[in-house]
This record gives sequence, C-alpha cells and structure tokens, in this order.
Amino acid sequence: MSTAQPTAIPYHGDGMAFARNNLPGLQELAARLTAHVDSAEREIGETRAILQDAIARLMPAFMAGNGDALSAAGRATALAKRRSAAASSAFSALQFQDISDQLLAHAQMRLTSLRTEVDDIARTLADEPEATNFETIMQAVQKVNRNLAALESSLVKPVGTPHLGTGNMEVF
Amino acid sequence: MKTILTVDDSPSIRQMLAYVLSSNGYRVIEAGDGEEGLMLAKANQADLVLTDQNMPKMDGLTLIKALRGLPAYRQIPIMMLTTESSPALKQQGRDAGATGWMVKPFDPEKLLEMLKKVLSRSTA
Repeated sequence: MSTAQPTAIPYHGDGMAFARNNLPGLQELAARLTAHVDSAEREIGETRAILQDAIARLMPAFMAGNGDALSAAGRATALAKRRSAAASSAFSALQFQDISDQLLAHAQMRLTSLRTEVDDIARTLADEPEATNFETIMQAVQKVNRNLAALESSLVKPVGTPHLGTGNMEVF
Repeated sequence: MKTILTVDDSPSIRQMLAYVLSSNGYRVIEAGDGEEGLMLAKANQADLVLTDQNMPKMDGLTLIKALRGLPAYRQIPIMMLTTESSPALKQQGRDAGATGWMVKPFDPEKLLEMLKKVLSRSTA
C-alpha cells in the first residue's frame, strides 16, 4: 500500500553547496521580481494620474449642468425634488476618485516597500557571488521578513467603505 | 454668513464641498492638509471645521487636538469627514474633541442637514 508523501526540497545539510547551486536562480528571481514590482508601481501611479485628470474634467462639467439642482431640495415641485435627489446621488458617486486614490496610494506604498526589500536581497546576492557565506544570505532574507511584517502592521487600512453608498453620519 | 473651514488633501472633495456649501449660503475657506488648516484657522475665525483624517503633513486627529488648544476653537464644532469608519478611530476622534463623524462618500443633502443641526446647537 502506498501513501502520498509531501514533496521535500532536496537539502543535504551543506548550506554553502545549496546556496552555490541555487544562487543564479535566486538572482534571476530577484531581478524579475524587481522588474514586475517596478512596473506595477508605475502603472498604479499612471492610474492615479488618469483618475485625477478624469475627475478634474468631469466635476466642472457636472456642476455647470446640474449644480443648481442641489439647492432645489427645499422647493415644492416634484421635478425640483427629483433633480435634487439625482444631483445628490451623482455627487456622492463622483467621490470615487478620492476613495480609489487612497486605496491605490496604499498599494503603491506596499509595492515601494517590496521593491526596496527585493533590491536588498539582490544586492546581498550580488555581494556574495560565490555563495561562500550562506549565513549572510539567510540574514538578509530574515531582515526582509522582519521589514515586511513591520510594514503590514504600520499600514492602517485607509478606506473602510466597501461601496459607493453614502456613509453614516453621527454627532457625538 | 457662517464660515466653514474645509480641510482635505483631495482637490476634488474640496471642490465639491466648496460648491455644495457656497451654493447654500456658507463662506468657505479651503486647506489641503492639517498644517495649512491650522494656519488658516488662526488667520480666520471659522464657525465650523470639516476635516479629513488621512492627510499629508498633519492628519485630522492632530489638527483637532491643535485646534482645541486654541481658545477661539474650544467650542467651535469640528466634524470629521473621512473614509475611515472604525469604532476605535471614532473613539480617538471623540477623545481628541471632534463634534461628529461623517463617513465618505457624503450625500450633499444629508451633509447640509447635519451642518445646520450642529451649527444651530453651537449658537444656541
């Protein structure tokens, strides 16, 4: 009867040999990760700029066409009330840029930190071309682990609102 | 005419608030972060302050604490207008001296109602 065994990474106790055999792969991995993180960071920056530009163009156009409806709430006519409600609803939805920008800024901060950490590993690997100091590499990896754990606890979730429905209001 | 100081690092939110408030008879002063908000609050006596929480240079809670340290702002309503809605942060806001808490996105009509209520309470 055969039982499934978990696949283990072949490691024979020789840290230096292990590092020597895997160093080129790790260097390549670090370079690829840096490139991807770099691109993602740039793309988020571009998305934020596009959103900002879109809302800057949309807002004055919307206000010119519908802004007066916001002060129509007190008027008695059904049409004025409907226009006012529609304008209020559109105003609430237009706030998506502020909310999404905060989330994107948060993601950008994570990527910046990731890039810094990957760069750090890549530097350590480059400084140990012969992989003669396995301990140095492991120390660098542990440092990255600690830094990423610290990053997680330092980043407070910026947006509590999961949708664009209007939020609660409360007087203390 | 009542003066409202709005403090938010998002230009679009400031623009929206300015439009909604000024078209309903309020004078609006705008600041892009807590530091500028504090400076403008000292230079202009506002009747109400509406501030965001997450901002560069100085956040909303720090601004509230600084404003409550000024005699001219000890009794003035200060409302938080933020995407943050955690009870812990709300409690921090209350402890810092916030008068109320509004979660973005805001509904202009509800915002106006709330401000009217708070302002009438503070002048009563």
